[in-house]
Amino acid sequence: MATDRPPEAALGRVGRWSLTAVAAAGFVFLFIPIAGIIAFSFNDPAGKFNIVWKGFTLDNWRDPFTPGPLTDAMILSLKVAAISALAATILGSLIALALVRYRFKGGVIVNLLLVLPLTTPEIVMGSSLATLFFDIGVDRSIRTVIIAHVLFCTSFVALTVKARIRGFDWSLEDAAMDLGATPWRTFSRITLPLITPGILAAALLSFALSIDDFIITLFNAGPTDETFPLRIYSASRTELPAQINVLATIVLLVSVAVLILGTLFKRRLDDA
Amino acid sequence: MAADDEGDRTKRRAGFVPYALLSPGMIWLILFFLVPLATLLKTSLSAKPSRFVPDVEFGWEFSNYTDSLSTYSEQFIRSFVYAGAATLLCVAIGYPVAYVIATRGGRFKNVLLGLVVVPFFTSFLIRTLSWQSVLSDNGPAVFLLERLHLMGLLDAAGIAENGRLLATHAAVIGGLTYNFLPFMILPIYVSLEKIDLRLTEAAKDLYSNGWQAFRKVVLPLSLPGVFAGSLLTFIPAAGDFINAAFLGSPNNSMIGSVVQNRFLEQGDTPTAAALSFILMAIITVGTLIYARLLGTEDLV
Amino acid sequence: MTTARPPRTRMSRLAGPPLTRRAMLGRMGAVAGAGLLGPGLLAACGGDDSDDTTDTTGGGGDSKALWFENWPGYIDEETVGLFAQASGLDFKYTEGFNDNASWFAKNQALLADKKSIGPDIVAPSSWMAARLIGLGWVRALPLDKIPNAANLVPTLQKPTWDPDGTFTLPYQSGMTGIAYNISITGRELTSFADIYDPAFKGKVGMLTEWRDTVGLTMLLLGEDPAEATIDSAAEALDKIEQAANDGQIRQFTGNDYMDDLASGNFAACVGWSGDISQLALDNPDVRFVIPDEGGLQWSDTMALPAGSEHVDNAAVWMDYIYDPENAARLTTFIGYNSPVDGVQDVLAAGDDAQKALSESPLLFPDEETLSRLYVFANLDEEAETAFEERFATIIGA
Repeated sequence: MATDRPPEAALGRVGRWSLTAVAAAGFVFLFIPIAGIIAFSFNDPAGKFNIVWKGFTLDNWRDPFTPGPLTDAMILSLKVAAISALAATILGSLIALALVRYRFKGGVIVNLLLVLPLTTPEIVMGSSLATLFFDIGVDRSIRTVIIAHVLFCTSFVALTVKARIRGFDWSLEDAAMDLGATPWRTFSRITLPLITPGILAAALLSFALSIDDFIITLFNAGPTDETFPLRIYSASRTELPAQINVLATIVLLVSVAVLILGTLFKRRLDDA
Repeated sequence: MAADDEGDRTKRRAGFVPYALLSPGMIWLILFFLVPLATLLKTSLSAKPSRFVPDVEFGWEFSNYTDSLSTYSEQFIRSFVYAGAATLLCVAIGYPVAYVIATRGGRFKNVLLGLVVVPFFTSFLIRTLSWQSVLSDNGPAVFLLERLHLMGLLDAAGIAENGRLLATHAAVIGGLTYNFLPFMILPIYVSLEKIDLRLTEAAKDLYSNGWQAFRKVVLPLSLPGVFAGSLLTFIPAAGDFINAAFLGSPNNSMIGSVVQNRFLEQGDTPTAAALSFILMAIITVGTLIYARLLGTEDLV
Repeated sequence: MTTARPPRTRMSRLAGPPLTRRAMLGRMGAVAGAGLLGPGLLAACGGDDSDDTTDTTGGGGDSKALWFENWPGYIDEETVGLFAQASGLDFKYTEGFNDNASWFAKNQALLADKKSIGPDIVAPSSWMAARLIGLGWVRALPLDKIPNAANLVPTLQKPTWDPDGTFTLPYQSGMTGIAYNISITGRELTSFADIYDPAFKGKVGMLTEWRDTVGLTMLLLGEDPAEATIDSAAEALDKIEQAANDGQIRQFTGNDYMDDLASGNFAACVGWSGDISQLALDNPDVRFVIPDEGGLQWSDTMALPAGSEHVDNAAVWMDYIYDPENAARLTTFIGYNSPVDGVQDVLAAGDDAQKALSESPLLFPDEETLSRLYVFANLDEEAETAFEERFATIIGA
């Protein structure tokens, strides 16, 4: 079709240049604290707080996973995120399938109930869940944290998958069945591959949301349970070891690697 | 909220199947979202006789609401001002970023989007602490601004206070803006992406310059994204307390700080519950008004 | 967007009732929902056996276990290992106790039900210990199994927060005074009035630990914090509130005042002696002083929560660290005031670094300094709530 010339081309070079400049500044803004985190992972802090630059050292990187409360907290966060993402992906995908593929009464209510958790401030969700647990006599623990995480992740998953699979050509399913495929075969050979990318994206999103969650976890974790963000918060009152920066940088590098690999993989798939 | 699409003919007729698919998730949401809200409501109307003992007694204590509203009106107002400012800043920064990625990204669209999201795989506490370090009195930001003789300007503009960047309104608003920027960029990007290129071409032909074409065609079509982004930014920002705790002073505290203190340190659960409901009510009303103003109902 | 569905042919009708596929999906949905969730939840149940907080009376199956939850940065690297070796116990040491108020709020429900909260020993500050004792949420110490308890320094025996001395043993004591960075203040500070000096506007910090903040201000105004009531403290509270509103006070902090001192955000703040003795090792500009009007003294104690299971093991630990040799090792690292008698002698007989410590006025204050130290009054619930409410307003929460 016609070339992809954005409407502001007529604005002139100045307009385009300033637009790009603002966008570039936005990207720089996004990465300023990241640069700080990475830089300070190489710092040799004077005391207990890794806040003032003292000197360059590689010591912090020699053994980033030294056993200790931070590493334990990281492992706990990963465990919780894995379980929550799995459960939320299943629950949310089922909801999305129902909403997109079926006509039924109550669709509006379902949509409303999905969107409400997103529009509720975390502090309200956290405190209300904690109040419920106290009321029914359930002690706060890892289990309550997982319940809370599955809650808000399910909404994200359902809405994300729904958006992804809305425009698909479902007549493929009918065609397969007309050709004699069994329902299960239709599902596994036609439907599932179609919706898998959307589900995977939603699962990754849930995983990230769960790892980073702080406020809701703060209200619902047991007194001695510490996920990574909780550990940082409680420790930050008395110490900020460089190990935090090292672990954060590792997470960052891993996610960049996944991003690059994913893009390359997708390119190869598209080219093939 | 997405419109009810019962008229969609690609859908199958109801049987019990959709309900079977929905039930696990819906039950979870009802059990762990609606029911807790009900218990929170009950707690907000209760009294807690002793700070030390966790039990509350239900008693239609509407005074919890009226007292909280008057005692903490300063924090309420400040929270909405901060969240509003942060949302505006997010639109100002996020829209150009989303626009450039959508229109100029080409092959690198996904990579660029990934770059927007990647910083957020570090915990947001760490990012806020990093800002605290960057903006500290002996840190690089203050150093740079003083060298460039810009500190006086910032002082006059009310952004800095007495030559410092931390413990100011600007620092907290800046932190909020930073933490929620991707939530603004991604929805705007999605709605820009959906715009059919032929529309923009037609607009260029119809209008005399690019800015008009943008304003009359692209901008209105991208409003659902702006709407979604604004909600996803404003609502969590209004309830936040971390940025105020790490980057602000006692004069910058937000309503989230109060709720956190009441609930997790004072053990004053009825007041915390009442404050939570007031916050939710104001946000809900605000959202409805905003939706009316923008004339859009689609969230995704 | 919508594509018309191809009309159903007769062939598809022959393939079976249309319900079959939907039924399949429905069944799969139900199975997926229940079956896949199950293992997930079970995995969660199995995954947290290290922090099971359910009640098990009778000591459970592991009677060689001991769990001490302490403040961060309050132990050296060797003691934990040495103790585990010497006692043969399975010793778990965690540092999750970083704020009295939030610890209390988190554990309130469990403590009220006398259930186990996990750790066998916790480290509440003296005023929190007083509250726990008043509520009956701590167990009596088996003092007969702690012979070294006799080494407790006389000044800390039968303290105001534990008049019978049966519920707590101090872990470390400390002094509250002014911590400041002389390179920023430009001069030595001697009085608490210096904190309110307008020259330091916006560079002053105070503690969220209001007993310290209000106590020092009361001393400045000539009131006795040991006899504090909400009325006698009114003037002090007003003064603090005024300073906060004026922007004199930049922030109310917990322990993180140290990083603000180091990063130059604070010129001066209310601080604790041990923190500064550690910070000053790396940064000689950081000083600590007990104000002329007086300073405060406090203790972090060891107490056994009501549901704690391994009481006898706890006694072994307490006996161990009340041995002057072990106590000296702790104090060398922590830099606070040891509650154990004889530590100064042990250090004086040690190497040069230890000798220097034995002469440090921060670790072993002289008589003159001790005479200027006060302990904040023990408050009942009503008074405490009044103070908490007022202070919460001041810090903007």
